[in-house]
Amino acid sequence: MARIELENIQKKWGAYWGVRDVNIDIADEEFIVFLGPSGCGKTTTMRMIAGLESPTEGTIRMDGEVMNDIDARDRDVAMVFQGYALYPNMTIYENIRFPLRMRGVPKGEQDALVRRAAGLVELTDFLDRKPGALSGGQRQRAALARAIVRQPQVFLMDEPLSNLDAKLRQAMRVQIKHIQRELKITTVYVTHDQIEAMTLADRIVIMQLGAIQQIGTPDEIYNDPANTFVANFIGSPPMNLIEGRLSEGTFTAPGLRVEGLSPRYAGKVTLGVRPEDCTVTEEGAHLQGSVYGVEPTGDVTYLTLKAGEKLVEVKADRAYRAALGHVESVRFDPDRIYLFDTETGQRLR
Amino acid sequence: MAEKRKKSRSENLFLRYLILGAWALFCVAPVLWFLSIGLRPRTEIITPTPVYFPSFSLDAWHMIWEDWPMAKYLRNSVGAIFGSVIIDLVLAIPAAYSLSRFEYRGREDIGFYILSTRMMAPAIVAVPIFFLFRTLGLLDTIWALMLIYAAINLSFVTWIIRSYMLDIPKELEDAAKTDGAGELRILWEIIVPAILPGIITASVIAMIFAINEFLFTLLIASTPDAYTMSVALANFTGGSDGIIYNAIALVAFIAFLPVFVVVVAIQKHLSRGLTMGAVKG
Repeated sequence: MARIELENIQKKWGAYWGVRDVNIDIADEEFIVFLGPSGCGKTTTMRMIAGLESPTEGTIRMDGEVMNDIDARDRDVAMVFQGYALYPNMTIYENIRFPLRMRGVPKGEQDALVRRAAGLVELTDFLDRKPGALSGGQRQRAALARAIVRQPQVFLMDEPLSNLDAKLRQAMRVQIKHIQRELKITTVYVTHDQIEAMTLADRIVIMQLGAIQQIGTPDEIYNDPANTFVANFIGSPPMNLIEGRLSEGTFTAPGLRVEGLSPRYAGKVTLGVRPEDCTVTEEGAHLQGSVYGVEPTGDVTYLTLKAGEKLVEVKADRAYRAALGHVESVRFDPDRIYLFDTETGQRLR
Repeated sequence: MAEKRKKSRSENLFLRYLILGAWALFCVAPVLWFLSIGLRPRTEIITPTPVYFPSFSLDAWHMIWEDWPMAKYLRNSVGAIFGSVIIDLVLAIPAAYSLSRFEYRGREDIGFYILSTRMMAPAIVAVPIFFLFRTLGLLDTIWALMLIYAAINLSFVTWIIRSYMLDIPKELEDAAKTDGAGELRILWEIIVPAILPGIITASVIAMIFAINEFLFTLLIASTPDAYTMSVALANFTGGSDGIIYNAIALVAFIAFLPVFVVVVAIQKHLSRGLTMGAVKG
């Protein structure tokens, strides 16, 4: 079990910044998720924790011990890779046993450990097969078993579910979280999928262009985004961000007028409101727009309105239907309106 | 309409077989012809008109095994060739691993240098090599042949193995590292098994080159002690008996057979090995 501290971590390749100014303190037994678009530095940060890359500057500590100069094989971490990285010439049994052999676990204990790990991921029946003879989901579970077999201090998972179909992904997500809770092992998980991040994480680290945008629990990230990038990245469909002007507590944009906002700011601001915090109603409406699209999904209907040049997404009642071009009014939940500085994207509180 | 198409299709197929069959015959006919020479009596070889259906005779067979040191030459060939391939693999696998996996200054230059040893005509270095082996006291031994074959083939064996290694996902090594394996373990337990087809391909190509090698063998093997099949065959005339064509043909056939069998057995890998690098998967 381990606490991981990343202090002022930088990674540069020539003039290119992979990761800059990363400071994170990961608690023992915590499940932390690095979330961000591809190229944001999340995988690089994880690889530095693994010891597969070394930081250009900064300090990595595990349980207080500086890890910078310790080889990957001497750090007690186990990693699950996006492409599973199962050894193709070995059976599943040999794959799972490999880390035990490398770490010098006594031969007599190996078999029981392999079978226990395989049992945890329900692979006991496939132990004598080669990876090539397994389905994607089974390979994923085999990779997971290889990681958990020796009970490492830290689990690192690099987009482990991205090659699976949606249904399997959901099932594996539940399994990963369950195993992590059961084994109580500090886990760092990298993904670009916000649903995975929201459902798995104790805390989420959102990254963009090598820098951390926000660290917080899923609720904090969702309810209290630090900037437009976070606001837009989390939530499906994403938050509506509407540029306009604020003066004396009144925000205006084409087709939109919201009163009673903070009078502390003025000028160009961006108003953010999530589709689920909008209600189709005439009463106290903030926005008027013409219907651009209606998408029934079964349990909700997504309504897209065009106000000026801006498309605004609204989560409407499941029975909601309207003809294109019909003019509709929408009210925002006044407690769930966010203001951002249009220039910097930072939240105005 | 459909029938017409069917007909033209079967004609097409016939034409295809005809062309391929003719090509195969063109390639195989000389081989079969010298096999038939090897298995006919001496009297039916040089005749005013061709003898298409000769009588069968094992004279040449007995001659090459009993009166001629065929077994010794075969032994020399096999020893020198296998020895050279083993030397190549021992050197090429770590070299290829280094060239394909580690980053260091001059890596590309070293890779190119290794390949460049194939770029000059072998005759250029023939004289220095002769003196080198004379100084080492290795003239007329199969040890010298092993070394020389290994040196000739090392560059492309390294390059073939290197390109197979480049195809192996880096993730596999990262996984092995976090699992606790060191570099040598990774090479031996993960990489080598994964590129076994490449290693086999490279070995077979090296064997074929070594079997056919003539110039340096002639240079180093000045007496029959170190003759291999290729040089022995060239020197084989039958001495006071004149030129014994049927025995020569049979020896040539025996020299050709192992290569043929091996190539047929691994032709799938071989075509991949030869075109490898042409298309990146």
